[in-house]
Amino acid sequence: MFRYILRRIVLTVPTFVALMFITFVAIRLVPGDPVEVRVGEHGISPERLAMFRRQLGLDQPVWKQFLDYVWRLLHGDFGTSLSTSNPVLREFLTLFPATLELSFAAMLIAVIIGVPAGAIAAVKRGSAYDHILMAASVTGFSMPIFWWGLLLIMLFSERWGLTPVSGRIDLIKYYFEPVTGFMLIDAALSDQKGALLDALHHLALPAFVLGTLPLAVIARMTRSSMLEVLNEDYIRAARAKGLSPFRVVGLHALRNAMIPVVTVIGLSVGALLSGAVLTETIFSWPGVGKWLIESIFRRDYPALQGGVMLISSVVILVSLAVDILYSVINPRIRHAR
Amino acid sequence: MKSSKIAMCGFTAALLVSTAASAKTLVYCSEGSPENFTPAINDTGTSFDAARPAYDQLVEFKRGTTEVGPGLAERWDVTDGGKTIAFHLRKGVKFNATKDFVPTRDFNADDVLFSINRQWKPDHPYHKISGGKYDYFNDMDMPNLLDSIEKKDDYTIVMKLKEPNITILADLAMDFATIQSAEYADYLMKKGTPEQFDQIPVGTGPFAFVAYQKDAVIRYRANKNYWGEKPLVDDLVFAITPDPTARYAKLKTGECHFMIAPRPADLPEMQKDPTLKVISQPGLNVAYWAFNNLKPPFDKKEVRQAFNMAIDRDAIIRDVYLGAGTKAKNLIPPTLWSYNDKVPDYPYDPEKAKAMLAEAGVKTPLDIDLWYQPVQRPYNPNGKRIAEMMQADLAKIGVNAKLVTYEWGEYRKRLQDGEPITAQMGWTGDNGDPDNFFFLRGCAAARIGGQNIPKWCNKEYDEMLVKARTLSDQNERAKLYQKMQEIEHEEAPDMKLAHSIVYETMRAEVSGFKQSPLGRHEFQGVDLKQ
Repeated sequence: MFRYILRRIVLTVPTFVALMFITFVAIRLVPGDPVEVRVGEHGISPERLAMFRRQLGLDQPVWKQFLDYVWRLLHGDFGTSLSTSNPVLREFLTLFPATLELSFAAMLIAVIIGVPAGAIAAVKRGSAYDHILMAASVTGFSMPIFWWGLLLIMLFSERWGLTPVSGRIDLIKYYFEPVTGFMLIDAALSDQKGALLDALHHLALPAFVLGTLPLAVIARMTRSSMLEVLNEDYIRAARAKGLSPFRVVGLHALRNAMIPVVTVIGLSVGALLSGAVLTETIFSWPGVGKWLIESIFRRDYPALQGGVMLISSVVILVSLAVDILYSVINPRIRHAR
Repeated sequence: MKSSKIAMCGFTAALLVSTAASAKTLVYCSEGSPENFTPAINDTGTSFDAARPAYDQLVEFKRGTTEVGPGLAERWDVTDGGKTIAFHLRKGVKFNATKDFVPTRDFNADDVLFSINRQWKPDHPYHKISGGKYDYFNDMDMPNLLDSIEKKDDYTIVMKLKEPNITILADLAMDFATIQSAEYADYLMKKGTPEQFDQIPVGTGPFAFVAYQKDAVIRYRANKNYWGEKPLVDDLVFAITPDPTARYAKLKTGECHFMIAPRPADLPEMQKDPTLKVISQPGLNVAYWAFNNLKPPFDKKEVRQAFNMAIDRDAIIRDVYLGAGTKAKNLIPPTLWSYNDKVPDYPYDPEKAKAMLAEAGVKTPLDIDLWYQPVQRPYNPNGKRIAEMMQADLAKIGVNAKLVTYEWGEYRKRLQDGEPITAQMGWTGDNGDPDNFFFLRGCAAARIGGQNIPKWCNKEYDEMLVKARTLSDQNERAKLYQKMQEIEHEEAPDMKLAHSIVYETMRAEVSGFKQSPLGRHEFQGVDLKQ
């Protein structure tokens, strides 16, 4: 078991190296450098342009810039954002809790609705419920997030007035200093009556929008995995022993059917973070997704490189965790090695 | 005893909450996060708007105009033929306190010296803090304008210029010339955290900074002791909302009272909504089509005039600007003082254009290059689409236009070097002084690498441009500028295409907002009717 985990950890190293290289090169392939893109009709004198390029190290050969970057990264230095002059790591850490909160809530919604919905569909295979659910999941899977988000805002917020349009809390009624960066926790800590409820109210719609895609995937995956498991001999044996249908399906079948679902959940984290970019933009959610998009427009190389590295690290760590979790749920995997 | 204390606390807390709820809060849905809160190191309207409530300048634009009036300087004397300006500073102006800094002295000349010298002197202790890029200070050519700046006494600043240039007053009203607290700067330097200076603003402005959370919210509290036009609301909140559709939705549900930059497509619906108010005016910009006056056949005035009549600009405004633009006939927009409305516009008349070309000895078909802008600009929503429409119009007078473009930085550089024979370009004004537009057609800017894209240099025009800089009487200056607009119309160094139209949208209960020709969003004097 320990050897297995160690091996998985060692395997992430080449992934990180490739990542460093790709983010570094990709941003430099986009035309316009950080100094150029900020200049409007005024233009910029060649002397000033040269001065800023020198300051930012852009006058160095690219391979040297890369080595400098890797060297600093190895020392835990993610650089300084060009547009705000703040350390990239600090900016990331201020914004990341918001993304994490949103992604976590989205995943929670996806699992809580997706797993039972898929399981029921499997049990009632071929029923109208099954057909409707599968059609809904295809729709959910192919829904463009931007459009879906705006549609729901139009209906829930504008038409029915059920949820706020965007933001994380009512800015007029509540004001407290962020402590953890997680609005739910900060609201609960704030002693302001109704703040927590209001924060939840703000979280509901964006979390649902972001959770739609994983919800669709999880429901489908649970269904097909359940169908497979329900045909197994041990389920027949369990039934034959006279166990209640709930125990058969809910405990014996579902637990075994969850193995591929856990993998899918792990894999969805990447999709969730990329979906967060759009969700955050529509719902004015102050997370890292929106920050990265702006960094691209500003050609803020350090923020972009640092941000992508940090987010990728999260994705890599999550998939590592899923692999480990996998072996915990399914003893066959850890014993096979 | 204990329980009564707790009850007491609860009561006080409830009281606090209820007063907070009855306080007037104005919520402004802005489009993005500021880079930081020192305008001198920023260059976006978003950042300027975000910091402006906290600050004042020596001289200030009267709200809703481009006219320069007193600010932290109560009055000023111009002597030495426009080369020396003495500013007499306002007394008893207090800086706003923040959580961990309480100012001990009033605003004085040291703060002015600090704010200018930080940008000007490379050896200033704050020069390199936060990146040390002072784009506007350099763009407005301040290092070449300023000779010296001295403190005569605590409340008098004497500024000497290298040559007479009265337009510096408009420069000093710009955001980059914001006056910040020298005492605060010293305090942070001693504490070892000078970067905080640009993150937590301490100024003398109508609002005091409370808090900022990146990509979420900026909070201001009214400065009840403000020396100028008083804020009428208690709190000012910037709700950062990047998506224009979401901003509109928030405006409709009342989550914000005012929004920036509505989508043109939403305007008709907004204008019909009785709970909303939409106002508009031309923006401080111009889009033009430059002819290279050094290259034949555009060295002939008649040819340039003919090309002015060849393009159906109304069609372009209608189909490309979609209502967010208006036809231009002068280089400056009509919101600027000295705009000459008597200047006639060139009509759209392809027949006459064709005849004039023939008369000027131009053989058709004529091949020219038409360079179009590769990026969207405030005054040009779609360079390529406009170029295609122009191409079609030109074909009607026997001119084959080849469309050319480059990446924006390269494009601008080649235009300034005078490479294209005809090219789209434009300008966004900085300080609302007409000189900030007309210098674009001055002889100094017509050099290779200069901003005069048509490379047109007219002696008479240029003399008036230079003379206007020495006059402190605005009426005298306006007369010169009006004459210059007539010359420019006659000589037609370019074809004026359009000014954008800027829309501001707010809820009906918002009163007292004045739309600024400079595109500023200022909230002192703005109120919410209940």
